Amino acid sequence: MLKVKNVEKYYGSKNNVTKALDRVSFDVADGEFIAIMGASGSGKTTLLNCISTIDTVSAGEIMLDGKNIAELPTGELAKFRREQLGFVFQDFNLLDTLTIEENIGLALTLNHEGADTVKEQVEEVAGKLGIAEILGKFPYQVSGGQKQRAACARAMVAGQSLLLADEPTGALDSRASKNLLEIMEQMNRAMGATILMVTHDAYSASYAGRVLFLKDGRIFNELFRGERTRNIFYHEILDVLAVLGGDISDVI
Amino acid sequence: MTLSKISMRNAKRQTADYLIYFVTVIMAAALLYAFNGLIFSGEVRELSGHFDKLSLLIVLASVVVVCIFGWLVSYATNFMLTRRSRELGLYILIGLENEQVARLFFVENLVVGGAAFGFGLLLGNLLFQILRAVVMALFGQVYHFEFSFSLKAAALTMVYFALIYLHALRKSRKKIRTMKIYDLIYFERQNEGAVISKGTRRRWVFAASIVLGIVGTLLLMKGGIYYGILGAGLVIAFLYGFFLSFASGVPAFFEKRPARKYRGQNLLVFRTLTAKLGTMGIVMATISLLFTAMLISEGMGLFFSGLFYGRAAEDSVFDLYIGSAAEGGVSEEYLNYIEENIPVEDSLIYPIYQGESSQIMDYVKDRVDYFNFNYDRDTMIGYRDYATLREIAGYKEVELLPGQYLIHCRAYLKEIIKDYAPLVTAGGQTLNFGGIYTEHFYQDDWGVGNGKGFLIVVPDEALYGCTVRHWGYVAKTIQPVEEESYETLIETRSQLFLKRERVDENYDSVRSRAHEESENASFIAMTVFPLYFLALALLMTTATILTIQQLSEAKHYRQQFLLLRKLGMDGREMKRALLKQFALYYLMPAVPPILIGVPIIRDLASGTEPGVLIGWSSPAAIVGISVVLFFLVYAVYIAVAYLSLKRDVLPE
Repeated sequence: MLKVKNVEKYYGSKNNVTKALDRVSFDVADGEFIAIMGASGSGKTTLLNCISTIDTVSAGEIMLDGKNIAELPTGELAKFRREQLGFVFQDFNLLDTLTIEENIGLALTLNHEGADTVKEQVEEVAGKLGIAEILGKFPYQVSGGQKQRAACARAMVAGQSLLLADEPTGALDSRASKNLLEIMEQMNRAMGATILMVTHDAYSASYAGRVLFLKDGRIFNELFRGERTRNIFYHEILDVLAVLGGDISDVI
Repeated sequence: MTLSKISMRNAKRQTADYLIYFVTVIMAAALLYAFNGLIFSGEVRELSGHFDKLSLLIVLASVVVVCIFGWLVSYATNFMLTRRSRELGLYILIGLENEQVARLFFVENLVVGGAAFGFGLLLGNLLFQILRAVVMALFGQVYHFEFSFSLKAAALTMVYFALIYLHALRKSRKKIRTMKIYDLIYFERQNEGAVISKGTRRRWVFAASIVLGIVGTLLLMKGGIYYGILGAGLVIAFLYGFFLSFASGVPAFFEKRPARKYRGQNLLVFRTLTAKLGTMGIVMATISLLFTAMLISEGMGLFFSGLFYGRAAEDSVFDLYIGSAAEGGVSEEYLNYIEENIPVEDSLIYPIYQGESSQIMDYVKDRVDYFNFNYDRDTMIGYRDYATLREIAGYKEVELLPGQYLIHCRAYLKEIIKDYAPLVTAGGQTLNFGGIYTEHFYQDDWGVGNGKGFLIVVPDEALYGCTVRHWGYVAKTIQPVEEESYETLIETRSQLFLKRERVDENYDSVRSRAHEESENASFIAMTVFPLYFLALALLMTTATILTIQQLSEAKHYRQQFLLLRKLGMDGREMKRALLKQFALYYLMPAVPPILIGVPIIRDLASGTEPGVLIGWSSPAAIVGISVVLFFLVYAVYIAVAYLSLKRDVLPE
């Protein structure tokens, strides 16, 4: 569903160019769960921002369902984002003036969904993610894990085809992280959600079906989980990271 | 880096972050200085003996204004303390003592206050020149620019400022000194906690306040003193009840109507608004109340200026007017004094006649506010005298055809009398209506003016055999009648009155244009200046509080709109949501004052003698201008806030 082809991204002025992405290419199939790993500054978030149309590429193309998103006019970009993409951020990014229910419903409201169906759809998704009982609460009244599940619910309630997660477990404790990752795994397996997750945590990455390693803006390696257990896959990821060097303290 | 350097740096940052507040404080100093300048200006004092009273009224108004600005500074200081509590907590965390931090904050605010005071004095001088020009124009004097700096005015302004700042800073200093690091660092969080607490009681208050608001407004519109007081009380209860419970009332409303909640931008707009109001319910209600006071002050200012101008316009048609009873006519004592002391270009002594009936008076009385006082019949004047009076007053010539009469009346009676236009009999002749004129003609005197509200102008021959009702004397003088001459004439009137045998007889009427105009100017200055001073202070304070509240949320709003952009909200929709949010936020505290203020101003403006408040000073116009002026000044704050918020908040 997603094709990233020779994407390059430069920052800076004429005399001082930083290459954040260097000819990155990969494909994401429908229903895949992919993790993108790398140390700080390796270009993970830049790549995610380019895919999510928040940032533009300097060269190359990104095709989603056959459409080149770089060629979408500005007016259609917003529509594209709200209909096709779901976001989960490290710091939750829920609006603290809205209840959890309203935060999830917001995605549907932006889609001009019929007001009567909003509640129904929100409750359905919330039920699946185990947050039905906190719908009436405000973000400051619930735990980090619950907030992140609410963010997941928001990211898929409008039927978005691609879920983009940027360090979703970054602000969670280990138990809440595990819980969230299981939920994401469930979203991927049972509901068929396509997930692209940026992380620097090997444990989180081990929940994915495939891991891409970025270093200095390039794809350095790629690991498929296949039929292996999560535990074995986790150790393989750690091995790659060891080869990648640096930032090992960042990883565990 | 020393603490004083940190203070200075923070002061600089504060003026940049809260620019609109800083500008308002400068304006406050400027306003106080300019009005104090009026008190101490020798030149202005010489204009009228009434200026002692003006000084007193300005000092009284200043006391109220100092209280209002005191509230603003105290509120803003506390607000900044809350916003920056984390930073202040950090100072303590790195080893400063509470006392040192308190001093840091104190010095920083004192520097800001001092700078505002300095700039305020400069601007105040300019404002004083404008006030001086207005006063000079009021008294018909020529204005010359003359730079003056009044030390006394500056000293008094400094005293006011010291009171304002020391009060606010003492409060915050006490707060910081007793605070623990935890409280400072989590100050904001405590505040947020109180934002959205639900409760059935609040919902009840919300419903009850809406009912009170409607009943109160209906009572106010019904008019009358008792209904008015009761209505105003209910509306005040509504204001506080409404703003205190709004935060929970709206969610409750939407809870029952989920379809509405998710329509358009309702969800975003109302949730943001209720969160804001949740923390500032009382402040919002107080702002609403102050807006009401502001609107009424402004309406009263317009009312008084309209009233005094209206009265003066009618009473100062002639340079000199004397009206005396039929018996004895205009006394020689006046005429001799005038001949010896007041150079006259043209003059006339003329009789006003008693009509044969009171038909026009009766007709008018049934249809409009009209008080006949000492008049019991319609009054008449001969055409020749009328023509001369018009000439003396500087009005254009008019023609009277044979067999006709003219009416000269006050503007507000024109349509009624014109519709009536009866046949008039005088001296055995029956006359037809021949035309109507409404220039000011000294027609509101109690007994010896040019008729009460109207005068019938008939051919001279129709007056043979008619009874003279009273006599009038008018003069066109070469120079304005001096106050001293006027006072001698008034003294003469008193002497003559004492000599008279009949006690029930009227005083003679003695009017000089110069005196009327100067009185009018003094009254306007005494009422309008303090009222506008108050109104401006109220509006600036309230609009500033609303604006700093709104702008301080810029960071929060920015995050919100950034997220919304990521979620796919397009730019146009974001702009619309921000605008809606903004419009509601600023309109909410302004609507109740309009509901309360408008009926009160209308009532006030309708309570004066008829015919004075017409045209631009009619009750409807006073209400209209008050509301428009209010929104004009308010709009400046709204525009500044909106533009700066739009720039800071909406992502590119």
